[in-house]
Amino acid sequence: MLTDNITRVKKDFSKDIADVKDIGDLEEIRIKYLGRNGIISKLFDQLKDVPKDDKPAVGKELNLLRINVTSQFEKLQTSLASEKDEKESKVDLTLPGKKYQIGSKHILTQTLDEMKSIFKGMGFSIHEGPELESDYYNFEALNFPHDHPARDMQDTFFINEDFLLRTHTSPVQIRLMENMKPPVRAIMPGRVYRNEAVSARSYCMFHQVEGLYVDTDVTFAELKGTLVAFAHQYYGKDLKYRFRPSFFPFTEPSAEMDITCFMCKGEGCNICKYTGWLEILGCGMVHPNVFKSVNYDSEKYTGYAFGMGIERIAMLKYGITDIRIFFENDFRFLKQF
Amino acid sequence: MKVSLNWLNDYVDLKDISTGEIVDSLTMSGLEVEDVVDQKEMYKNFIVGFVEKKEKHPNADRLSVCIVATGKESVSVICGARNVERGQKVVFAPVGTIIPKGNVELKKAKIRGVESSGMICAEDELLLSEDHSGIMVLDPKLKEGTPIVDALNLDDVLMEIAITPNRPDALSHLGVARDLSAIFKKDLHLPKINLKESNIDINDTASIEIADEKNCPRYSSLVVLDVKVDDSPDWLKNKISSIGLRPINNIVDITNYVMYETGQPLHAFDLDRLNGKKIIVKSTKRKSEFTTLDSKERELLRDTLMICDAEKDVAIAGVMGGENSEIYYDTKNVLIESAYFDPSSIRKTSKYMQLSTDASYRFERGTDPNNTLFAAERTAALIGEIADGKIAKGSIDVYPKMIEERIVKFRLRRLNKILGFNVSAEDSIQIFEKLGFGVKQLANEELKVTVPTYRPDIEQEVDLIEEIARISGYHNVPTIPRISITLDTKHDETVLTNNVRDFSNALGLSEIINNPLQPELLAKSTGDAVKLSNPLSMDMAYLRTSLLPGALSVVARNLNRGEKNLSLFEIGNVFNLKEDKSDINSFDDFDEEEKIIFILSGKKVERDWFSDTKEYDFYDLKGIVNSFLSKISLDNLLNDSYYSIYNNIYEFYLTKNFKDREVGLGGKIRSDVLKKFDIEQNVYCFEFNFSELKQIPVIQNKYSEPLKYPKVFRDFAFVFDKTVLFDDVRNFIQVKSSKLLKNVNVFDIFESKELGQNKRSMAFELEYFDMDRTLTEEEVEKDFEKLIKLVSKQFNAKLRGN
Repeated sequence: MLTDNITRVKKDFSKDIADVKDIGDLEEIRIKYLGRNGIISKLFDQLKDVPKDDKPAVGKELNLLRINVTSQFEKLQTSLASEKDEKESKVDLTLPGKKYQIGSKHILTQTLDEMKSIFKGMGFSIHEGPELESDYYNFEALNFPHDHPARDMQDTFFINEDFLLRTHTSPVQIRLMENMKPPVRAIMPGRVYRNEAVSARSYCMFHQVEGLYVDTDVTFAELKGTLVAFAHQYYGKDLKYRFRPSFFPFTEPSAEMDITCFMCKGEGCNICKYTGWLEILGCGMVHPNVFKSVNYDSEKYTGYAFGMGIERIAMLKYGITDIRIFFENDFRFLKQF
Repeated sequence: MKVSLNWLNDYVDLKDISTGEIVDSLTMSGLEVEDVVDQKEMYKNFIVGFVEKKEKHPNADRLSVCIVATGKESVSVICGARNVERGQKVVFAPVGTIIPKGNVELKKAKIRGVESSGMICAEDELLLSEDHSGIMVLDPKLKEGTPIVDALNLDDVLMEIAITPNRPDALSHLGVARDLSAIFKKDLHLPKINLKESNIDINDTASIEIADEKNCPRYSSLVVLDVKVDDSPDWLKNKISSIGLRPINNIVDITNYVMYETGQPLHAFDLDRLNGKKIIVKSTKRKSEFTTLDSKERELLRDTLMICDAEKDVAIAGVMGGENSEIYYDTKNVLIESAYFDPSSIRKTSKYMQLSTDASYRFERGTDPNNTLFAAERTAALIGEIADGKIAKGSIDVYPKMIEERIVKFRLRRLNKILGFNVSAEDSIQIFEKLGFGVKQLANEELKVTVPTYRPDIEQEVDLIEEIARISGYHNVPTIPRISITLDTKHDETVLTNNVRDFSNALGLSEIINNPLQPELLAKSTGDAVKLSNPLSMDMAYLRTSLLPGALSVVARNLNRGEKNLSLFEIGNVFNLKEDKSDINSFDDFDEEEKIIFILSGKKVERDWFSDTKEYDFYDLKGIVNSFLSKISLDNLLNDSYYSIYNNIYEFYLTKNFKDREVGLGGKIRSDVLKKFDIEQNVYCFEFNFSELKQIPVIQNKYSEPLKYPKVFRDFAFVFDKTVLFDDVRNFIQVKSSKLLKNVNVFDIFESKELGQNKRSMAFELEYFDMDRTLTEEEVEKDFEKLIKLVSKQFNAKLRGN
């Protein structure tokens, strides 16, 4: 019977195809089963002898057999062909890829970029100001009177009595407020200079990010909220923080923000000088005398300001122990980031 | 400032509060404690030892081998001090003790072959003073084995507090105690003065005159007669040495003690050395010299405030006394100075003389003008008691114009507006009162606060608000979880700079950041440099005028470290004096401009399996510059100029110009310039004036439809004289061709013997297309043929391949 034959052919084919070793074997199988006078062709010839009622079912079965055989044949054919290619090919794919040089941004730029993107998300603009500043912008307008000990907090490089290298980015606050009315919400990154002996911990030049927000209802509580949100985003959600009273002539009340030392998790180590805390920024509410120097009404407007050193933050984050390495520009250092 | 907890306890009772809590509270209320020494902890292992025996060390002349009895045993200890003797009671550190100086653990050691089990200590090793002249010799009555903590009453806690410049009141134990009394809501006890006056009237002993009332608003004085100058009693010595002062004699020690108690600097004059028994406070009329009590001759500026007697200067007011009137061991009669000087006057003097003393430090921050008499009386009472002196009756207190207490209005509503939280009127009043402020409650939740003169920092309402905030604790101010954002336009002035960094990275360049402070030679080599008036060193005395010298220094440093293949960029500001200016009097006298520099040196491609080594060359630089310009949409707005003429930095260079203004310049650095930096390989640099590039109006990029029709290409190559420049040929082709020719690319250049000397071959690919139609072969061929003829003729060139 034809149905029995079909079953037998299926079995034979499985056996035959399992024995195939190369393209030659495969070709023999093709002729044997799929050739013009092959087994399957002959089976189709027998279809005419099948009773009429059984014809559709048997025909269907026969068709399935042909499809099955063809597909198994093709699959094997492809795999044998690629095996052959691989053996004959001369390409050594294990050779190293060609070098494409891509530059990197200085790690301080990368640190700043990350900070900028956080503050931009909180609705801050970004402004810049000059490095060679006047005494007025750097000190006087910021409520540092002449001959006041507060000036000793920032050792200054002077050009002459009236001009100097800015010791902080705070003068940009004044320049900004002189040129616009509230609301003002901006960060002001830039390079600053201090006349301090160069050591692993301090350099005569470094970078800061200044922040300022002035509007009708800005509070110390909002300052805390904003800076805590920044710290959580930059340093991680589970850090602890504290705000300590401090003194800056241009803010009142003034504070410094500490976060738990992430080297020792607050246990105390030589990075945090065994206090468990790291100071990361200074901040406070804009002093009414500052508003006065830019003709803002301090009864109507309140504001906060903050400032942080970028080198310090990068040193903490990347475990850099000598600040001078930032400015040596050793190519091996630059390429690490 | 070093503060002793025992001392604080004299004024506020802190015995029921742990050290940790005190330290924390001080830090969290604005007096930052930077370091804490708990003596009980630090000295817990030290004991009294008895030197039973002393012998010379067999192998070292300067060392002794001592047998020290510790109460439990006798151990052998090597000692290097000359003053160690048999029979002494000494401070002994057994093995395992942490020695405070250097914070090291003491181990059993063999010193030149002899074992040493412990150490006999000097004061500096215990951090009790800086004295290392010999070991500490203790009271012979002390029993060996007694803990040093008990034997020497070392039960104090010493805190190093960083006092911010706005808090001169906290430069004293009373001031710190006052803050603690407010924090812990405890009473503050002022020291009681027991002034036993004699019947000698002070006015019969001395007189005082203020000639400069502006700089010396008050001068208070008491006189103590027949004093015995001697060493201070132990309690006083201990007290002042606990905070790091060196005991000198009873009179000087008392003035120091009262200064650290009250914050009022005091000076004791030997009254008999004051001519005319007179004090005159006046400013110098001219430059002069004066010898201070440290035996140094110092130059005085005109208008320096001085304390004088009838004939001579005797002290630099508020800074330091003079050698000619200081207390000696034979001093009999003492005049106590307790004055208030104008802070800025003292600061000017101290700054000019570069002499900062405990006194000047306090005066320039602002002492309490209304506490001078109290401090003088306190000092006199102690001198009377300790130095056995007779206190003259009364005081001389010259105070022409009383400095009144400031009255500041305080609104609770305003506190809420600034802090974002509420404090009740009662709590505010309590805090103010504990801080010594006078408070009167007005209507509408307003207070009228009278600020004592020891708080010169409290000038306005917001200062009072800070007082409430810091004493109640910043942690009590809520940290709000959301902020509102205004919908006004946000600017980011750094966008273009950021993009330029990204483009530079994509071009393979890494960013460097240099110090703009340079030595004169470098700064002046590229511009008219601005000089600092007080540089750190001559190496950093000028501001850079260009990014180039810094860039070459970086190349040199990297070569030195074996990094030879460099592709770098920097963006930074440079500073140039304007023409004809030698100093800066306004912002118009100099330019501060942002520049960007590209630097290439070494190998572009290192030896590798797919390619030979390739060095960076001028065309890499030019390519980078042009790619950069195209990314900032300036490529079509700038023109090139090329120079091979003499330049002091470049061997040859290219400039980029906007209209007629040069906005960028760069090329191959001359080898003699490189030699000065010890660079022995080629360096290519290009510097743009980024500030100027930012000013060039850029036409907004608009979409243009991509070409729909095929391009037609034709190649030809000619042999030219070497003097013929590529740019001239290209321009000629572009001018002479039909409008269908859109691009001319050079794809091969070579020279060879076959071509002949001074000849080179250049091969061009011509790109034809039209935006609106497909070109025919004929029209392209016609133009191509025409160009061949024209180029041959124009440049006397020979078509190759024919």
